[in-house]
Amino acid sequence: MSLREQVEDFYAEYAEVIDTGALERWPELFVEPCLYRIVSKENYDKGLPLSLMLCDSLGMLKDRAYASKELNVYAPRAWRHSITQIRAREDGERIAARANFVLFETLPDQHTRVLCAGRYLDTLARSAAGLRLREKICIYDTTLIPGSIVMPL
Amino acid sequence: MNERAWPAEGDSRVPYWVYTDETIYRRELERIFHGPTWSYVALECEIPHAGDWKRSWIGEKSVLVVRGEDGAINGFLNRCAHRGVRLCEQESGHVRQLRCPYHQWTYDLDGRLMGMPFRHGVKGVGGMPADFQFSEHGLTPIRIAARRGAVFGSLSTDTPPLEDYFGEKMLAFYDRVFDGRGLRLLGYSRQRLAANWKLMLENIKDTCHASLLHVFFVTFGLFRVDNPSKVRMDESGLHTALISERGKQELNEGTRQMHSFQQQLALQDPRLLDTVREFPGDATVIMHTFWPNLILQQQSNTLATRQIVPRGPQEFDLHWTFFGYASDDEEMTQRRLRQANLMGPGGLVSMDDGEIITRAQDGFRNAADAAGINEMGGHDYADSEHMVTDVALRAFYRGYRNVMGL
Repeated sequence: MSLREQVEDFYAEYAEVIDTGALERWPELFVEPCLYRIVSKENYDKGLPLSLMLCDSLGMLKDRAYASKELNVYAPRAWRHSITQIRAREDGERIAARANFVLFETLPDQHTRVLCAGRYLDTLARSAAGLRLREKICIYDTTLIPGSIVMPL
Repeated sequence: MNERAWPAEGDSRVPYWVYTDETIYRRELERIFHGPTWSYVALECEIPHAGDWKRSWIGEKSVLVVRGEDGAINGFLNRCAHRGVRLCEQESGHVRQLRCPYHQWTYDLDGRLMGMPFRHGVKGVGGMPADFQFSEHGLTPIRIAARRGAVFGSLSTDTPPLEDYFGEKMLAFYDRVFDGRGLRLLGYSRQRLAANWKLMLENIKDTCHASLLHVFFVTFGLFRVDNPSKVRMDESGLHTALISERGKQELNEGTRQMHSFQQQLALQDPRLLDTVREFPGDATVIMHTFWPNLILQQQSNTLATRQIVPRGPQEFDLHWTFFGYASDDEEMTQRRLRQANLMGPGGLVSMDDGEIITRAQDGFRNAADAAGINEMGGHDYADSEHMVTDVALRAFYRGYRNVMGL
């Protein structure tokens, strides 16, 4: 299997974990030390450090996953990731991967809408369990998020 | 409009038509956003140098906030004086002159019309008439007031000076956060919510919900009615400060009644709530609403302005600008960035708010004959030494009805 195919399989698993609501498995897709950020293209392009979500440890990933699944109050919804234009390069122990993502969100009584679109700038590592994320930066394009982002992208 | 009568119970009731009626909304734009009010438009640290500009909003009107050659801050409608084209489309930028791309009318940083191509014609033909007065065709100015790092704009000549507008009591709260130190811009979050703009202000005047809706606040004691708390308002009732102190994760008479309290919940990484005291006094959180469009958030070490942009009766935009102080060390900056997880469109706390006010708006559909109840704490309008009260909501609607003639 080519590196790109391996990364594509990993992204399929990543999307499935979130889209099926199995958020408790989301932190398992990372290895310490790890970093997860959702950042607007506006902040990213201007070099502003604010994230919409920031987890810089496995513990914070678990806290976010638990809050999102069990604690936060939001309307029921279906999420569907589409992850395309995957590129990957292996450099020693580090795999740099890039991809585009589109997040479709379906709320009760409403048509399916695009919550956001953007790109992933990721760093992966090989572990006994397969590819895992060391770093995931989700850069979303829109300046106005429709509603809220209630789960990790 | 005429059949819209306020419920007989008065300010402790809010008829749902104030959130849905198009005529009411038009009147709000006219009397509130276009009226004698100061709308928050920017932080000074966003436009530090001459020629820096930011696109902002007063009501639904797009405005430009520009740092002039003399260092003063100018404000204009974001509209070319020629044919009305929106001058700037980016969120911010830096220019020496403002130029409309359509017919290239060009303005200086003070909004004066400086020139245009073909003014004197081409090859002796055409051109603007000799009596065309450049001085009469500059950008439409708006009034600007800046105080200690934040910038406000007004479309009315009747608006009192900013300090008088806030009043001494509210100014003291304002000055606690904007204490004269330089600010550091950390970044923006922006979202569009399918709810009436007033619901966002109400959310920050509604003291009880924080102790019930938000598991994070309730469980970790960040904002809870059993902690020492105060509600402070100005005479109009429109500006409010909710003041509180962080409490413990303990079962007591208050938390026992909060279904969202979780005694066993523990963070895997407690750095999220690694708060440090940085302001004088005992308060660890003060949430301010400055009429009509600003929420100033100081929750532990996360600071932000939330600018409300109305988009019709059933929708508004919320622009979050997170900031710290220029004097912050790297550790403090990281702390602010981590605590920002609580707030914004994906905030561990704020996402609940965005969702619940949208759900309230859903409940208002076809419900013009019904009204909400703000009776916790009784019927008065007085400052409160606790938060088990809807007093800030009653005072708000008293002030709102005065402004709106309702």
